[in-house]
Amino acid sequence: MIEYVRRALAIDCEAVSRYLVERLREYFEESGAAGGVLGLSGGIDSSVVAVLLARATDNFFFLLMPSSSTPPRDIEDAMKIIKLTRAEGKYAVVPIDEHVKALADAVGVADKKIVGNIKARVRMVLLYAYAQKLGYLVVGTGDKSELMLGYFTKYGDGGVDILPIGDLYKTQVRQLGRCLGVPEEIVAKPPSPALWEGQTAEGELGIDYETIDSVLYLRYEEMRTREEIAAMLGIDVSVVDKIDSLVRRSQHKRLPPEIFRLSGRAIGSDWRYPRRYWNVRPWV
Amino acid sequence: MGLRIELAQIRPFLGDVERNLIKHKEIVETSDSDCVVFPELSLTGYVLKDLAFELFRHSEKAVEKLADAAGGKCVVAGAIKEVRPGVLRNSAAVIINGEINYVYKFYLPTYGLFEERRYFQRGDPLKDLKVFQHAGVKFGVIICEDAWHPEPAEALALMGADLILVPAASPMRRLGKDLAIQESWEALLKAHALMNTVWMAFVNTVGSQEEEFFWGGSMVVSPLGEVKLRLKIFEEDRAVYALDMDELRRARFFSSFRDHISSFHKILAEL
Repeated sequence: MIEYVRRALAIDCEAVSRYLVERLREYFEESGAAGGVLGLSGGIDSSVVAVLLARATDNFFFLLMPSSSTPPRDIEDAMKIIKLTRAEGKYAVVPIDEHVKALADAVGVADKKIVGNIKARVRMVLLYAYAQKLGYLVVGTGDKSELMLGYFTKYGDGGVDILPIGDLYKTQVRQLGRCLGVPEEIVAKPPSPALWEGQTAEGELGIDYETIDSVLYLRYEEMRTREEIAAMLGIDVSVVDKIDSLVRRSQHKRLPPEIFRLSGRAIGSDWRYPRRYWNVRPWV
Repeated sequence: MGLRIELAQIRPFLGDVERNLIKHKEIVETSDSDCVVFPELSLTGYVLKDLAFELFRHSEKAVEKLADAAGGKCVVAGAIKEVRPGVLRNSAAVIINGEINYVYKFYLPTYGLFEERRYFQRGDPLKDLKVFQHAGVKFGVIICEDAWHPEPAEALALMGADLILVPAASPMRRLGKDLAIQESWEALLKAHALMNTVWMAFVNTVGSQEEEFFWGGSMVVSPLGEVKLRLKIFEEDRAVYALDMDELRRARFFSSFRDHISSFHKILAEL
């Protein structure tokens, strides 16, 4: 990562984590939820959010939902986070293969991408069921790099109530992880959704996260041209274009479903209430 | 002679006017200041979107109830005012001795996350600039974005204000190595104080509303450009500051704020 971008993406870990913990606390308080449930994978994102969640409230619950494609090391790493957050009595392990197989058989598919997305959605179903049982919210673990690239499953790991680190790039999440005490082996591990064996984000995308974050930052926050970015980073313009294309093609995943307008005041178009509309009390 | 102002840096609950009013009343009733200043849209919350159309009546009623509770204190609270049927303005209600006045925001931001011109009509400087007096001190009020332009503060200072109150709802952006927006605000307030030789009191919202988080950090800046009082960032806070009018007097002996060459505005008007 070039020095210019490194400096721009440097965060004050203390201030940022204090802010995120405070917002989590506030969100639970305002939404009337008792706490939060989180899917713990042993990766950097869910580890960081787990620590933040555990700092924000005592009312948290972690779900480990391994499948046959989950590397054993991820389970070991998840257990380290359970120890770090003193969550010994606050987690459950729910293997998902059986449920995934039932769904894949019902659809009659074996394609690894389709089955991979079923895995992500089965996890979402389990998280929501646990959340409802406990009176908690589902706390998402997606980061800004993944959200921007559309590198998540719609209604799978994208199906959550809140995304506390959704405005932090992967490289910033690593910075935060280090200062929150997340073990270095988790921080340094190549990010992977582990939806099939051997899958890694960087392998699948063909670009490393330092480059991805640099391009995303320069393209969408500094609004620089493709040529300028390629020159600054010393990469081919086609890399910038590839990232740009991923962002464009995944826009639908970041938005609620489109409603075809008919009325004078259609949802999402000119019916624009705040998210916390429910919080408005009738008053005279 | 002086004025004791209380900066009431609160976290309003978006759309919950009743709850916000209770908080306003508690602060006013327990304040030992002459004047309590709340943030922009403090009675309604800021990120209202279409709720603005539903809450303006509640907001006006809340201002009336606040006026009843204010006694002899001056209170400045953020509210929505319907100036004509269906025409709303982002306002500060100025309550002095139970009497209600409204000040309107002139510059309505509609860039980035803001969409104020969708919901509000801007104030008209020719009609709506007002200087008030309480406990012997003259003051004016400008709302948030108005402080990012030189004229509203300059006009009020030349109209006689010794103190300019700036209720604001400034959201946090770019929390990286430092909070850049906080530094920008401090620079702006110091510039206004120095250029116009006035006291500046900035009262920012705190807490989250929708995706936004308001950072607080309210402050009082002296006519010599010194930060005299600074409230906490990221949490609710309140504090009283007694303005020393002799400090203002001394600053003005060596200040050029009285001069305004209006021909500059003729040029600006044609740009």
